[in-house]
Amino acid sequence: MRPRMRIAAGARLAALTLAALAVLLPFVWIVAASFKYEIDITMGRLVFSPTIVHFDELLFSRGSDFLRNYANSFGVALVSTALCLSAGTLGAYALDRLDTPAWLRHALLGWSMLYYMTPQMTLVGSWYVLFRQVGLGESYTALVLTHTVMNLPMALWLMGAFLRDVPVELEEAARVDACGPVKTFTHVVLPLLRPGLLATGALLFIFSWNEFAVSLALTRNETATVPVALAKFAQDFDMKYGAMAAAATLSLLPALLLLLLATRSLVRGLTQGALK
Amino acid sequence: MARRWPSLRLWRAGSLAPLVLFYVLLTLLPVLNLAAMSVSDVSWAAGRSHWSFVGAEHLARVADDAVYRAGVRNTAWFAAVSVSIQMLLGFTLALLVSRTTRGSTLWRMVFLLPILMPGIVIGAIWKLMYDADFGVINQVLAWFGARARDWTGSPELAMASIIAVDVWHWTPFVFLLMLAGLQSLPPEVFEAARVDATPWWRELTRITLPLMLPTIVVTLVFRSIMAFKVFDEIYLLTSGGPGTATEVISFSIYRTFFVQGRAGYGAAVSLVTMMLIAMVVVLALNLQARLARRPA
Amino acid sequence: MTRPNRSQPQRRRWLLAGAALASGSPLRLWAQTAAQPLRIAVPQAPWYPSFERLTTVFERIHAAKVAFDVSPFTGLLEKTRNAVRSGQSPFDLICINSQFIPEFYAGGFLEPLAKIDPRFKLQPEVIAYDNTLRWDAVRKVFDAKGEVMAVPVNGNIQLLYYRADLYAAKGLKVPRTWDELAANARALHGPDVAGFGLRGNRGFFEASYDFYPLLASFGGDIFRNAAGGDCTVVINSPEALKALQFVQQLAKEAGPAGVGSLTQARLIQLLTGGKLAQAVLVAAAWPQMDDPQRSAVVGKVNVAPLPAGPSGKVVTTLGHWIAAVPKNLPSERKKAALGYLDWFQQKATQQQYRDTGAVPIRQDVLLADPGPDPKYRLLPAVAASSGNTRLMLPVPQAAEIADAMELQLNKVLVGEAQPAAALNQMARDIEALMARAGMKTGRLPDLR
Repeated sequence: MRPRMRIAAGARLAALTLAALAVLLPFVWIVAASFKYEIDITMGRLVFSPTIVHFDELLFSRGSDFLRNYANSFGVALVSTALCLSAGTLGAYALDRLDTPAWLRHALLGWSMLYYMTPQMTLVGSWYVLFRQVGLGESYTALVLTHTVMNLPMALWLMGAFLRDVPVELEEAARVDACGPVKTFTHVVLPLLRPGLLATGALLFIFSWNEFAVSLALTRNETATVPVALAKFAQDFDMKYGAMAAAATLSLLPALLLLLLATRSLVRGLTQGALK
Repeated sequence: MARRWPSLRLWRAGSLAPLVLFYVLLTLLPVLNLAAMSVSDVSWAAGRSHWSFVGAEHLARVADDAVYRAGVRNTAWFAAVSVSIQMLLGFTLALLVSRTTRGSTLWRMVFLLPILMPGIVIGAIWKLMYDADFGVINQVLAWFGARARDWTGSPELAMASIIAVDVWHWTPFVFLLMLAGLQSLPPEVFEAARVDATPWWRELTRITLPLMLPTIVVTLVFRSIMAFKVFDEIYLLTSGGPGTATEVISFSIYRTFFVQGRAGYGAAVSLVTMMLIAMVVVLALNLQARLARRPA
Repeated sequence: MTRPNRSQPQRRRWLLAGAALASGSPLRLWAQTAAQPLRIAVPQAPWYPSFERLTTVFERIHAAKVAFDVSPFTGLLEKTRNAVRSGQSPFDLICINSQFIPEFYAGGFLEPLAKIDPRFKLQPEVIAYDNTLRWDAVRKVFDAKGEVMAVPVNGNIQLLYYRADLYAAKGLKVPRTWDELAANARALHGPDVAGFGLRGNRGFFEASYDFYPLLASFGGDIFRNAAGGDCTVVINSPEALKALQFVQQLAKEAGPAGVGSLTQARLIQLLTGGKLAQAVLVAAAWPQMDDPQRSAVVGKVNVAPLPAGPSGKVVTTLGHWIAAVPKNLPSERKKAALGYLDWFQQKATQQQYRDTGAVPIRQDVLLADPGPDPKYRLLPAVAASSGNTRLMLPVPQAAEIADAMELQLNKVLVGEAQPAAALNQMARDIEALMARAGMKTGRLPDLR
């Protein structure tokens, strides 16, 4: 029995390792490309002398505003996550614990679902026109608001799932202690929701950071985010592989940071929706 | 239910207000705006927009639009094939691995990576790898003596290449969800199966799959919804080409609005898309209700 | 000292006059709104670095500041479209690509330069680029006697790029006709090096852009007489069929693999990587050929004017960029913008522009001896082509027409459609959209 189990365990390890390599190698490839001269990339050379000329162009040249794009992405992600988390948590709490009439619950959750199912692009055209008419065309406000609403269904769903982990009895106990609704929420529910908030917040931040389609349509150069800046280097007329790779490498940093610091939180967030 | 707090209604209204406000202003209103735009021609001059009514002209043209029809077909095909492969691969890998607990955080970190990457970075990575002249895939093929292929430029391969990228992108996600699901299943059931010396395939079909069904369904629904929205990879890798081989709905709408500048027609296309999705939802709900009514 | 701030502009005028004397050109006196830099909307294009370097010179001479807003090709189009339609343009100068010039001129969004300052004169040595700098606002067509609307900022035309070393090795000569080019291509084509590359990618002015010189030099065209107002579609003519069949045949026999995805970037890449022997490329791609960071064939590539068609006609498609002044600006900003344009068109400036590696827009600078540096070896070819330039689609619907052509051309090159059927479909599509736009149009009977 033993040797067969060891083979099976070995096979499992091999399968996992193969899968892990399949995931990691492409990342290694693009990071390596960001240090190659353009000709080394286009000649597919595996051996090359490294250079930082692309990072230099990306960060310090006149035609590139990457540092600003980075700041834009960060700011938009932070603010939209805060807004989204607030609206989503409050909304989830109201829907679940504040006696919301059934028709309203179904309406809001149903609309959430329906909205989540439609591609962003269907609404972007309208957003573009509406924002432009009120003078907010291609502004930070437009970007923050659209990012918030795009992630709201997810926030609602996830926070709803985390909320259901908080026992109702605790709230009843608080009510017996004559706590008003605000105090119940802030002193009883919120502390228990903290890990859920962190998990959801981390995911929302990443989704906002990664967002491309809407940001492409609703920004101009000053308000452009990192993904939009990256796409700038990947044009059919003037493909700059080195700059594109360098931009991609730098775009990975927030995700890598979050991974190293908050793996468990992220996994909890992702699996929460599926398992509850 | 008796009112628990006298001011409950107020707090409820206040808590729901931000959510409702966002939804009404940024989703409901734009949909109405789309309806208005789809029957007009919108143009801009001196900072103001000018609208002129054109009736059902745009909507009629959507039905004739071969590119849009190709987009709908491609998106459906893409979603179906890509999600199926991911579910299969992810589930199989999770099954294989569910008993390995060593270094699980490290594996989780690795498999989380693609999900956290901007889609545009994934597009960039694969653009480099798929390149017909210097991409690593063709290079490796050359080592084995196989012919180099034009992955994103030939009509036969383009869609398959995009699907491959999506599979690479999201299988880890499916894997993680399936793994979490498997590890949360009650171990007693499997103990019993082992005691009875149940063959692995029977264990799989009679025990594992039925127990995992909720998780599988949720993952499937999630992934399908996301697959319908695909845009980033198409933008970077193929721009809908060659021909209309990788044309997808999101890209068609983007091109109509922002490259061709046709707001009225773009709105018509958007509305038609939303109606199509609504139809799919209604069908799915119907199906679900009918299945739920069936005796177990 | 009656008014305290009079001495400042006074002193600056002396400085400017001094600089003018030093550079030997009559200088515009323009009021610079010192508070705001001159804002120019430019594309992320191969020639942008040269433009940037040249403008640094401008900033030094005039103690001015220039702010660039760099966008990708399609992003810039959207941006400039919005800019001219808004309450006040966020840019003082906008760069417009040749294909969209009719759209902007016809829309009335740009200020004729002479209206900003009647002393402005477009210098005669500036290349006319198929009259795309002058517009007849009444008849709404390009006209050699029309009002000057813009100054070109980049002399981008199509040229034949070829590997001089490979020619020498096989004893080939620079082709004068397309048939000679095809013969060269077949001779040079091999497993490691493709014979000839032409764009087949369906994109934004890609396959259609490269097809046009062949179409025109074989005697075909899109419209019967667009400049005269007759937009009858003649794309499906026997001459056009010959041209398309020629392209299809050549791509099959001597083209690189994956012709359907040949973009401009990829063509340049193949050439600089040593995997392509000949290609039709724009002049703006030149600096990459000799850049050791981007090229493996430094010093081996030469350029020549495009070959002639069966009747001896040579046509090169315009891909140039112009800089124009939006109407929706206060007049001091328009004057500042015009001052920049006037400085740009001067001979001394164009010589410096040439030295930064760009293609100058004056014929005298193209013909002047630039010195022994081999990087200038493209200039004679550009100079020889100046008289054969044509704008592909001199109508505001250019983008939609090109899109209709792109799809069909791509299909023909990847083998999904036959040339005659593709041309007929193009004719149908183009006629439909011209009719929708309310232009006088029609079309030829279908090709068999």
